[in-house]
Amino acid sequence: MSLLEIKNTHLKLDNKEILKGVSLSVNKGEVHAIMGPNGSGKSTLSYMLAGREGYELETGEILLEGNPLNEMSADERARSGLFLAFQYPVELPGVGGMSFLREAVNSRRKFLGEEEFDHLGFVKEARKEASKMFVKDEMLKRAVNVGFSGGEKKRFEILQMAMLKPKVSILDETDSGLDVDALKIVSEGVNAQRNKENAIVVITHYQRLLDYIVPDFVHILSDGAIIKSGGPELALEVEKNGYAGLINAA
Amino acid sequence: MLHDVKEDYVRSIKKYTSSYHENHFRSLASKDFNGWPNPLEEKWRLSRLGALSRIKMLPIKPDLKKVSDSNKKLGSYILKFIDGAFREDLSSELPTGISLKELNEKESLEFFHKIKESDLNNHPSTNVSLSCTPSIIKLTVNKDTNVKELIEIFYEGGHQNFSVHPVLYVELKENSHLSLIENFNHFTSLVMPLQLTEIQEKGSLKSIKIFDDNDDTYNLSAHCALLSKEATFNSFSLVKGGIFTRSETHAYLNGTNAKLNLNGVYISGKKQHHDLTTAIYHDVPDCTSKQIVRGVLGGFSSGVFQGKVRVAPDAQKTDGQQMSKAILVSKNANANAKPELEIYADDVVCAHGATVGELDDDQLFYLNSRGIPENKARQMLIQAFLKDIINDSVDGQYHDYIFNEAQSSLSSILNEEK
Repeated sequence: MSLLEIKNTHLKLDNKEILKGVSLSVNKGEVHAIMGPNGSGKSTLSYMLAGREGYELETGEILLEGNPLNEMSADERARSGLFLAFQYPVELPGVGGMSFLREAVNSRRKFLGEEEFDHLGFVKEARKEASKMFVKDEMLKRAVNVGFSGGEKKRFEILQMAMLKPKVSILDETDSGLDVDALKIVSEGVNAQRNKENAIVVITHYQRLLDYIVPDFVHILSDGAIIKSGGPELALEVEKNGYAGLINAA
Repeated sequence: MLHDVKEDYVRSIKKYTSSYHENHFRSLASKDFNGWPNPLEEKWRLSRLGALSRIKMLPIKPDLKKVSDSNKKLGSYILKFIDGAFREDLSSELPTGISLKELNEKESLEFFHKIKESDLNNHPSTNVSLSCTPSIIKLTVNKDTNVKELIEIFYEGGHQNFSVHPVLYVELKENSHLSLIENFNHFTSLVMPLQLTEIQEKGSLKSIKIFDDNDDTYNLSAHCALLSKEATFNSFSLVKGGIFTRSETHAYLNGTNAKLNLNGVYISGKKQHHDLTTAIYHDVPDCTSKQIVRGVLGGFSSGVFQGKVRVAPDAQKTDGQQMSKAILVSKNANANAKPELEIYADDVVCAHGATVGELDDDQLFYLNSRGIPENKARQMLIQAFLKDIINDSVDGQYHDYIFNEAQSSLSSILNEEK
């Protein structure tokens, strides 16, 4: 059984069909990259998977470890082990980083039947994980994402991923807004999470990110459908010839 | 029939004061009360008293044996008003430098004239409470006295179909400092608190008011504040109780370099109506006024913020800021904001902004996408919305207390919406 199974999913926004039958199987231990030009439906796909309101499927099915996600709300999906790293992490003025993280982690632990962290226990755990992601203590005391630089926001996303220990992580354009150094730190953070039990889906425009997070499979999304799948060499082909060549060939 | 009920109350007030000499303050005040404000009156257009005028009502005769079981002791000293009457037997002795007295007839008449000179001259609480109050209580802080301990005032009592009339006069002499917290916790009635605050030169007052009357109560609070040169008044109101609560404050900045912070939060659910109405009068140069108002509305509730700022032609270099925001957590709730700026001076900085909206979808989705359930996520965002203003408005040691007071109402509103 695949860890994540996306079956022939169709989705409309404002009466316009955006996803036109996307299917994908992701097994444990795998990293998949979904590449595509602007407007191909990449962000829609990630919101659809995460369960954002308004992104409900017309037809098709999403299964996480065989359990259907279609009817689950975003928070239920997250507690079940799905994680979305945002392209543009949202600022939450007045919501402290530490209490936000604790609320999220404890929601997931409760779902898993694990003991919830108390305040002190959590602070210790969070600091340990934060230092690995070069997230300073001071950042955890501030309001979530408020006044964070582009790099800080993305590091904070990956810190959340590390602490929530999801089964499937979807990284939506995690490379956007990052300089080379920040890209390296974030990628190392992601790579440290890779193991035989989980899976990662990287959504990106550029091959650049895939130099750091090396995928097992690459898929090309165009006009709401996956038109080609292959190994890492497919990303290099995109880099060399652009999307146009691939799309025309398909 | 409706007409009769209204007439009854007006007649009962007149009757109550008929034994007084025509120049007595009670008699003078009762002459000016001829019924509840008409909804066509601009000041009352958004907060209509139609339902109140249909309730049969009489001014209460205070029960001086009534005791209360309130024991919230945030303050070091406690003053209690029950049924509008000051209860020395249930109040603390005050520290040196502060005194408390009942105004005599002559002083009461002077008090009457001070209030009547303000724009609260025709507020129903002015006229009815001056007619019917058991007595006007004056709290005076002596010159150069810095009262470090918090004074906590409880207003309690009330009875179905009766109106309650506490009247308080607070005077801070030159260079004196005081912190007050006032709790309004009445039962099934109409409460019409009237207050005059005078802060003399270099004096400062920090005031917190918590309006938490029970579900059937109407509270029409009227407060007039007069600030002299270099005086400071920091006022914060938390409005959460009653079926209808209007806290109306008029502040007069009469001396140069006076500073005013007039902040408030209302949290409304079910069929509650909450109203923060303020008027700030900049009459001299170099004064500052700041106002932040936040509202959270659920159920079928309605909220109103009316904020008038008037800057007189001579009040150059005035700095006046006003910002109100309301969040609707129910589709059946509504909020109205009405900023009114009347600026007659040309060298001033005045800004205002008012928004009414729902919680931000992106923020909610972000929290949900981390596994935080919808209700908890909404709660976190609303708490964050109120946290700033509470932190800005009250001293650090009271943050948790005020925040918890707000939190208890928030939780019930959000549970209603589940």
